[in-house]
Amino acid sequence: MLARLASGPATVSELAQPLSMSLPAVLQHLKALEGSGLIRSEKKGRVRTCRLNPGVLSAAERWLVDRRSEWEVRHDRFEEYVMELKENDDDRQA
Amino acid sequence: MTDKLDLVLERTIDAPIDLVWAAYTNPEHLKRWFAPRPYEVTECELDLRPGGIFRIRMVGPDGFDTGHGVPGCVLEVIEGRKLAWTSALGPGYRPNLAGEGCESFPMTAVITFEDAGDGKTAYRAVSLHKDEADREKHEQMGFHDGWGTVAGQLEEFAQSLRTNA
Repeated sequence: MLARLASGPATVSELAQPLSMSLPAVLQHLKALEGSGLIRSEKKGRVRTCRLNPGVLSAAERWLVDRRSEWEVRHDRFEEYVMELKENDDDRQA
Repeated sequence: MTDKLDLVLERTIDAPIDLVWAAYTNPEHLKRWFAPRPYEVTECELDLRPGGIFRIRMVGPDGFDTGHGVPGCVLEVIEGRKLAWTSALGPGYRPNLAGEGCESFPMTAVITFEDAGDGKTAYRAVSLHKDEADREKHEQMGFHDGWGTVAGQLEEFAQSLRTNA
């Protein structure tokens, strides 16, 4: 649902349509997402439209930044390189 | 040591300890992984003894070039087990100007290696900073690479949402 909302606002029925979930289950799920601040929704007549809360993307971005410090990314590169060296060693021994 | 000041990383890598040590300490190897792409290390000196030089020259496609660079200082070497260096000091322990070391802020790196059996190596890499602001600077370096690109794309996307909202 979040992936669908990432490409733009959608009505509840649009969100429910590709899912094999009952409408009440979908509504409950959306309520939880809204409760946690990930999405917001508004009702016009009988149609409820949901959209991703833009602030969430900044938070998601921050999450990525927090978990992927340059220190970590540098050591990812280091490990990739060690594995390359190891493979080359194995090739030489083979 | 606190979470607020340091970046701590502990991992086990599926390679024997001598190979891991060589990849971390041999300047020719270091050149291959130290810089965040598309940046490149074109020169590297690492003299593996206390007081020895640690110097890198980093260049980028956008004309970025650290030039000769202000060298850092090796603090401790236990062959195959431990390397500690700092950018706060230069070779022979002579103090650097603040923020002129191998990085744009003073930092000390302590890396320890341990044989984890089965041809694997456990290692721990700690980066120590003088304050939280420096730790944050370090965290956010190099974000043109990998997740940095993702974060950039997310930001653009978030902005497009805001514009459309």
